[in-house]
Amino acid sequence: MTLVNEKARILANACVGPRLWLMELEAPAIAAAVEPGQFVHMRVPLMPERILRRPFSIYARDAQAGTVEVLYQVVGAGTDHMTTLGAELKCELMGPVGRGWQPPAAVSRALLVGGGVGAAPLFMLAEELVGAGVRTDVVLGAQTEAALACRGRYEELLAAGASCGCAGARCATDDGSFGRAGFCTSLVEEALAEAAASGEPYDYVAVCGPEPLMRIVAGMAKASGVPCEVSMEKRMACGIGACLSCVVDTRAGKKRSCVDGPVFPAEELMW
Amino acid sequence: MDERNEQMAARTPRATSVSLAVNLGGLGMRNPVTTASGTFAAGREYHDFVDVAALGAVTTKGVSLNGWEGNASPRIAEVPSGMLNSIGLQNPGVAHLKEHELPWLAEVGATTIVNVSGHSFDEYVSVIEALEDAPVDAYEVNISCPNVDAGGMTMGCHVPSVEKVVSLCRAATARPLIVKLTPNVTDITEIARAAEAAGADAISLINTLLGMAIDARRRRPQLARVVGGFSGPAVKPVALRMVWQCHNAVKVPILGMGGVTTGTDAVEFMLAGATAVAVGTANFMNPRATVDVIDGIIDYCEEQGVSDVNELIGALQC
Repeated sequence: MTLVNEKARILANACVGPRLWLMELEAPAIAAAVEPGQFVHMRVPLMPERILRRPFSIYARDAQAGTVEVLYQVVGAGTDHMTTLGAELKCELMGPVGRGWQPPAAVSRALLVGGGVGAAPLFMLAEELVGAGVRTDVVLGAQTEAALACRGRYEELLAAGASCGCAGARCATDDGSFGRAGFCTSLVEEALAEAAASGEPYDYVAVCGPEPLMRIVAGMAKASGVPCEVSMEKRMACGIGACLSCVVDTRAGKKRSCVDGPVFPAEELMW
Repeated sequence: MDERNEQMAARTPRATSVSLAVNLGGLGMRNPVTTASGTFAAGREYHDFVDVAALGAVTTKGVSLNGWEGNASPRIAEVPSGMLNSIGLQNPGVAHLKEHELPWLAEVGATTIVNVSGHSFDEYVSVIEALEDAPVDAYEVNISCPNVDAGGMTMGCHVPSVEKVVSLCRAATARPLIVKLTPNVTDITEIARAAEAAGADAISLINTLLGMAIDARRRRPQLARVVGGFSGPAVKPVALRMVWQCHNAVKVPILGMGGVTTGTDAVEFMLAGATAVAVGTANFMNPRATVDVIDGIIDYCEEQGVSDVNELIGALQC
């Protein structure tokens, strides 16, 4: 697959939750080619002294309109600066990068678990699965109701998938402002148990979020005998597989999260 | 749309009547731009953006005899106008390079400099011996990596060690031998002279500056290994100063590097005495940085009426 470095025009950049921002960009080549779970490596404009690009998973794309959306959380000076960028500015996006989600070909029922901003990189996967008629359940966790920034789109998608057995998203918030109070891992455990008891067990789990969450969910999937994929986030420089900054420890040695991942089968990881 | 197409298509420098070829200690380069070891893998990763055969050379990631795991993560940190890295020369070993990367570089027609690393004097020699029947145009002996406990910078700070490792490598090959120097010394000209006296055909500098970054809130170093190599635009003044000092101290040609991001940066290094330059950290900022630097050199030469890029070498007036 050919990588491009596209001069993308910012179409919108708006706050959608606590420290959560949604940026829409015009990037036709990437919009046409990106697969669920892949990312773009962004050269953030007007920030010359911060020289490294920032990797962002694609939340959604519209191939016909040639646009992509990125949901980002303000975690440092770079993402803080991004909130000041106005529409019409251009920024370089290199992509689409990496190995995305690769559910088994014969998947019949999937469980997607998104923690915080980690809900975004799973959304295109959810669209693909529901579009293929796969019964798909979604668990979302966040600190507060306002931080469940992707929930609306998931609910809409899952409602459209009701005919293939999709139910509403199960949600948890740390402060109990929406859904279950506490971490979303209890919902994952319940979902796995209910599916197994119903005679329609999951045959695929995908999780993206803070590493402790991913580890716990991967452990639960393993205990239930369900294949699980996780999306790793590491500090990255080149985003192209050359610099070896973003390696993760796997059973086959150190692998690059940029091009060997960011999505890895959970059982390959040593964590 | 035109702008985008142009950007995606141009993997080679633009045409010019300026003569760009240089000779780096016996290594013929079609233009004075190569890659800094460790920032460009063995070129293949960048091939969507850069026709590596159009570069003066590709300098490959440091290779040791057997594979090295490298350091723990986090391995990088961003700092103003630069970055720190602590990769630790992770590489799969010379056999892998020989089998998978060098044939590809030869097939696409690249000029290839292999960066050679080792934990011991013998290991440097063994790596070169293993490569003598491979398509390699020159060796760069890495006695300057700050991120390993043995070999690397520990060897490059000490004149007798420099003399010994360079002499041994010299005896192992007739190919052009470039010795890569660390800036983490009191007097780099002393090291440069030792390398020259021991048979180096050229010297390259600077490797990264030893630095560190701290997360004050967590009271923790930002790198797992605590210290790492500082690179990027911020180090250019130090690199220029050292290239200029070495140019005045030795006769062998110099491969200059340290923050080269634009054609003008490259010209500055040449004026200070470099015969060629390497683009490193800039590859992370811009995957097409190498070609942009060559284009920028061409722009400069055309604007300044320079017909041969060799006119720039050491042409600083001071």
